[in-house]
Amino acid sequence: MSIERRMLARELKLAAARPGDIFKPMWFLMLVISMVPLALSPDSVLLADIGSAMIWVATLLALLLNTEHLFQSDFSDGVLEQWLFLDRPLAWLVGLKLIVHWLFHVVPLICITPIAGLMLSVPTDVLIALLMTLVVATPALTCFSGLGAALTLGSSRSGILGVLVMMPLFVPVVILAAGVLIRAMDGSEILPLMALLGAFSLVAATLVPIAVSAAIRLNIGGSN
Amino acid sequence: MSWRWFHQWGSPRWFYERAGRWQLICGWLALILLVVGSLWGLGFAPVDYQQGNSYRIIYLHVPVAFLAQAMYAAMAVCAVVLFVWKMKLADVAMQAIAVTGLAFTVLSLVSGAVWGKPTWGTYWVWDARLTSMLILGFLYLGLIGLRAAIQDPDQAGKACGILVLVGVVNLPIIKYSVEWWNTLHQPASLKLTEKPTMPASMWMPLLVNILGYYIAAAYLVLGSMRAIVIGRERRASWVKELVGRA
Amino acid sequence: MLEFQFESFMAFLAMAPHGAYVWPVYVLGLLILGGLTWVNLRHHRQAIRLVKRQLEREETHES
Repeated sequence: MSIERRMLARELKLAAARPGDIFKPMWFLMLVISMVPLALSPDSVLLADIGSAMIWVATLLALLLNTEHLFQSDFSDGVLEQWLFLDRPLAWLVGLKLIVHWLFHVVPLICITPIAGLMLSVPTDVLIALLMTLVVATPALTCFSGLGAALTLGSSRSGILGVLVMMPLFVPVVILAAGVLIRAMDGSEILPLMALLGAFSLVAATLVPIAVSAAIRLNIGGSN
Repeated sequence: MSWRWFHQWGSPRWFYERAGRWQLICGWLALILLVVGSLWGLGFAPVDYQQGNSYRIIYLHVPVAFLAQAMYAAMAVCAVVLFVWKMKLADVAMQAIAVTGLAFTVLSLVSGAVWGKPTWGTYWVWDARLTSMLILGFLYLGLIGLRAAIQDPDQAGKACGILVLVGVVNLPIIKYSVEWWNTLHQPASLKLTEKPTMPASMWMPLLVNILGYYIAAAYLVLGSMRAIVIGRERRASWVKELVGRA
Repeated sequence: MLEFQFESFMAFLAMAPHGAYVWPVYVLGLLILGGLTWVNLRHHRQAIRLVKRQLEREETHES
């Protein structure tokens, strides 16, 4: 079996063995969304206004918290060290791991956002735009939070440092996605902004794994 | 000759022996420039017909804000030097600049907020510049936090180096997107700086202050670097000699 | 070009109507710059003290 297929099979097995890791972010998202009307008001007009943005923020948080310890188990198992010796560039393997993580852990999260949208009275066309922005933007966000996870890999009691370190870098993506949502709420054309978001996401997803692999190499081997 | 000069920077000892003098010069120079510049701006620059006397905050706010951003760029340069030439001093500089940069960012935010109160009526507005400065503050915090979390100084330096480089590439993107975000919600963008056509009597003290704060930052960074060097090189014989003599 | 903009020193301090805004900012700036200087000095002294203690430990080891 090729390296990639072996990796995919392993990730599949791990994901199946720990369904909680997939379920807990979804649970977190629903909890946060439930807090919003409690903290604000049950007024459905107000909720519809801010609903899509709140779902975005909540999804972002759930993604961050989930990706924070992405490499931890592979690190302690020694799998990461093995990667250094495989016949593939580390950045490629890292990118693969990130894509698979996105597929197994972030996509399910995105799948329940329509329920959240329903609860916050988000209109359907805005909801569709919301889903599109999430699908397009989350790969880049996963890569960025992977960087946070890789940078804090060696340190023991870093807590949510990985999350804190990466969040400022999310700003452009969040702003772009918000722009799309505003256009959707107005009813105007969202495709140009979506294309921009897609382009940024693509570039990030291609380049950030390189930084992630540098950070992993750093934390595995100590200083080289 | 220039390569030899460059490689001398590889020696922490060479740096430490000279930095004390540089620091002293910078300290006095900065003090003079800042006292002169601030008094000039506070007392002798003409009153602004729109903002009255509150605009005098710019003689602190503008230089400090500019430096907060420039220092981040300087850290990025240090990171490049660290990775390409493996110069330990570059990492020491990065560590020293991070704390000073954060302090300047906070000062810039507070001075901007206080200026905002008489100008716009509230202490905080989500305008493009304040928001970008806030995010810059978070970026500095992340660097400081990351360095504190990693025990080995060389490893910490490289991790921070990676983070700084990723951050510096994102910084213009962040600034641009925040400006764009601002125009989405506020058709008339509020500008915190004076109109570009400032009379000389107004921008001359500003120049003095910019230079003054720049040199003050250098003074602070040099001071911090010397302390860090002693700490990192504490097992080296030259340090023991130095301390033993003292 | 260089004329003092206020009638008196008291007026300078008051800087009506914005004195309460301008002066605290400058005081804060002074505090931060001074504070950083002090922190650096303390850090430097601590580092030297650490080395000194280490030297003394080594000397008592040898003797």
